[in-house]
Amino acid sequence: MTGPSGVGIGWRPEIAGFVAGLPGLRFVEVVAESVAPAGPLPDGLAELRGRGVTVVPHGVKLSLGGAEPVDPARVAHLAGVAAALDAPLVSEHIAFVRAGGVEAGHLLPLPRSREAVAAVVANVRRTQAELPVPLALEPIAALFDWPDDELDEADFLTEILDATGALLLLDVANVHANACNRGGDPTALLDRLPLDRIAYVHVAGGAEHGGFYHDTHTDPVPAEVLDLVRELCDRRPPPALLLERDGHYPPAAELRGELDALAAASGHPVVT
Amino acid sequence: MSGGNPATPGRRRVPAPGGEVSGGNLAARQAQLVAALVAGGPLPPGFAAAPVEAARRALLRKRAGDVARHWPLLAAGVGDAWPATFAGWAAGRPTNGSLRDGWDLARELRDRGTLPPLGAEELAAREAATRYDGRTAPRPRRLPAVARAGGAVAAQLAGRVRLLRPAPR
Repeated sequence: MTGPSGVGIGWRPEIAGFVAGLPGLRFVEVVAESVAPAGPLPDGLAELRGRGVTVVPHGVKLSLGGAEPVDPARVAHLAGVAAALDAPLVSEHIAFVRAGGVEAGHLLPLPRSREAVAAVVANVRRTQAELPVPLALEPIAALFDWPDDELDEADFLTEILDATGALLLLDVANVHANACNRGGDPTALLDRLPLDRIAYVHVAGGAEHGGFYHDTHTDPVPAEVLDLVRELCDRRPPPALLLERDGHYPPAAELRGELDALAAASGHPVVT
Repeated sequence: MSGGNPATPGRRRVPAPGGEVSGGNLAARQAQLVAALVAGGPLPPGFAAAPVEAARRALLRKRAGDVARHWPLLAAGVGDAWPATFAGWAAGRPTNGSLRDGWDLARELRDRGTLPPLGAEELAAREAATRYDGRTAPRPRRLPAVARAGGAVAAQLAGRVRLLRPAPR
């Protein structure tokens, strides 16, 4: 199957009908943990596969950044989903989601330390050894930093990518969120990331809440994030960009407008 | 590496001698942080309190949304109070997965007498179909069963569930 290309959208059961009605759509992403590799695919996904739409499994619970080794059963599941969807690659996060047997419930940031780089690299290699396809790694949005960073964000990410050969899934909304909440210049970060390693890009909406910018995936994509898409495309146009929406789904016209704005900002064909 | 501006103002700090992270032991430190975020543990040394507190609250909102997807009638029945109701129950209580979290909350609301009718009907239907001991993963019932919650009555036969009596409005 071909790699991600053009403007895509995160497939969710709630918007399966909307997604199925996008005439120019060539790729979607599905939350890997929501797919049973042995069972039948959800109806909407099977139909998209039948149309030749690329489906990328996106893992959220592997905990590649955990100090403990990744759970082999979770890795096997991700590999099985990749095979079931005939996916060209899979993606996961540079983050941890559990520790000491307790689930955090979402993605948590790592210290930007040599120790954390070593932990991520070891887990990525364990995962790559079992996957039938390449792995793309996504840096996350976080509200806080660890107190003892040894590396800055660009060096931290580049060291992990260099040591593992993994692809980059760059989330420009996360870049925006981190710049708002943790400081730093988002365009300067784009200048220092290995943009040639980007498999595809995430774009999502968010909102201000209690003095922080939250990457909610339930709000419209702000103008600042679209500006960052343009900044990225000025440097090196990515092969594909994907809109993530995870709730408070707007009317179809509004969602189409967000996809069209992504196409306009990136120069990719309109898919609506 | 593409792009060519090396003069980014990164926040570099000097590594501790020998390349060791001060405090070391990533596993223990990750466990401390998770405990602070979801299990009522203390703020680990060196972390800024306000951003970690914001992250704790954000995790609760995220969980509330996840549980609402698994328990749509319960969340709809609680209505606008859902985020606060869920957060009040879940704060300091690590997740057991959205299915069990919603189940445990529904049972607690039932015991408090504050389970809304829609939630009572969803709970009764789930309990008729599935056995859940409150400690381990729910399992499908193999035998016919009748379940009651908040005045709602549901019956299950050969895996099919019917609401025999709606909860009083």
